[in-house]
Amino acid sequence: MKKLFAFFALAVVSLIWTQSAHSFKLDDFLESMAKPPPPQSQPTKKPAPQQEATQQPAQKGGGGLIGLGESLGIFDKKTSRILQKSVGALQAFQPIGLEEEKAIGGSLALEVFHRFGGMYKNAALQNYVNLVGQSVAEVSDRPEIDYHFAVLNTDNPNAFATPGGYVFVSVGLLRMLQNEAQLAGVLGHEIAHITHKHALKTLQRSKVLSGLSGLTLAAMDEDEGLFDQVINEVSDILFTRGLDKDLEFEADKLGMEYAYRMGYHPAGLKDFIKILGQASSRGSSIFLSTHPGPGARFQALGRFLPRYKAVGLFPTLARRYQSTVKGQL
Amino acid sequence: MMTPKNNLFSGSTMLLAFVIFLLTGLSFASDSFAATLYVKKSGTKLQALDSARSKVIARLSRGTPVSVIKKSKRFYQVSTPGGNKGWIFKFKLTSRAPANSSGGGGILGALGGRQKIAARESSSGSSIRGLSPISEKHAKNKGISEEDIQAVKQMEAFHINPLDVEKFLKEGRLGEYGQ
Repeated sequence: MKKLFAFFALAVVSLIWTQSAHSFKLDDFLESMAKPPPPQSQPTKKPAPQQEATQQPAQKGGGGLIGLGESLGIFDKKTSRILQKSVGALQAFQPIGLEEEKAIGGSLALEVFHRFGGMYKNAALQNYVNLVGQSVAEVSDRPEIDYHFAVLNTDNPNAFATPGGYVFVSVGLLRMLQNEAQLAGVLGHEIAHITHKHALKTLQRSKVLSGLSGLTLAAMDEDEGLFDQVINEVSDILFTRGLDKDLEFEADKLGMEYAYRMGYHPAGLKDFIKILGQASSRGSSIFLSTHPGPGARFQALGRFLPRYKAVGLFPTLARRYQSTVKGQL
Repeated sequence: MMTPKNNLFSGSTMLLAFVIFLLTGLSFASDSFAATLYVKKSGTKLQALDSARSKVIARLSRGTPVSVIKKSKRFYQVSTPGGNKGWIFKFKLTSRAPANSSGGGGILGALGGRQKIAARESSSGSSIRGLSPISEKHAKNKGISEEDIQAVKQMEAFHINPLDVEKFLKEGRLGEYGQ
């Protein structure tokens, strides 16, 4: 019986490994293993109906191959339960769902408007920034969610992204840019923070969520203090401490990549960082405290740029930018 | 009487069976591993030629696996499970099967039979609209102005006409209209 089981297991493992190879990414698996689930001192509250998982119908002995093994009598119930628990432990640390992400991001969007002058009231400018932003988002690594773009009514040059697809650039920053490729690079950088869930990943590692196995709208709705803590923590990350420098460098690279995919000259973001560096040396007040220094960013982007070949004819669209933006400011 | 040499489940027999299964699996997987990509977003155009101006044959759903037949500068010629053949702007495709598509799950999903993680990103965004009630409640508790609440709602409600986007890309020689 043991030999029959071993033979069956070898056959199944080899079939799964080869057939699933294209959908199983070792990087994803290692990443999920790198962060062990926090201790489950508080069980996750019942999820809201919209996010109910699509699960396979219950089979005798549970789902999947382990359940099949029990049904066929290869595993006894005790062994099957142990194996299911082991797999369950690996899957236990659930990423924050889209509905929760949008709730967090929407609250932070309110904070952004509240802290940085509100929305700049110019329909033509809002429309233009949305056109560039939506185009870049379409070729990003997460085009399927809704992205929203707005111009902030402040002379302080700044740009923000909050989870769930909210992206902001200030009038002050738009005044510094020289062409549309630079705007695409800046928006690409912000979009990258959303596509790669930088703020959420930082939140998941924070003490605010320690002791929880997941974060649901139902749990936050029941416990207002929890939602307040979450928003305060992410506000602190975005507006005071800043994200880890590695995440900012990653967003720079991705911003350059996304702009390139859309067909803009990929040096746009690098050129803007240079302008930023020159402005800071003249003593202008900018968002340096939340990002790596412009020098380091410029050098990093300079090392990354040569990978883009034959981009000499890629447009920067300076004329379109100047005629659209400068006329509105 | 069965001798170790004649035992069906001897070590060498099992090793041979493993190798046969492995090679069989590889022969199936090798055809799809290198050439299967997935549509990133629903509504992606499958076009007759490698040109943004060519006829649209079909619009594909997110997660649709496509087999790459040929590559031109910024387009891939692909075949779809439905039997269509056409060209897609290459940056609308990804090598990773999107969550809750037919290619998802992985080994853990196969072992445990659960797809809970995949389902959490299932919304295309269209079913989750507007500032959530919990966000509005939080804002009012914190004294955030009605003007700022309306600003977020206005931001969310802003939609661009797809024809305007096409015109924008065409005039700028961007996206599918790029070099």
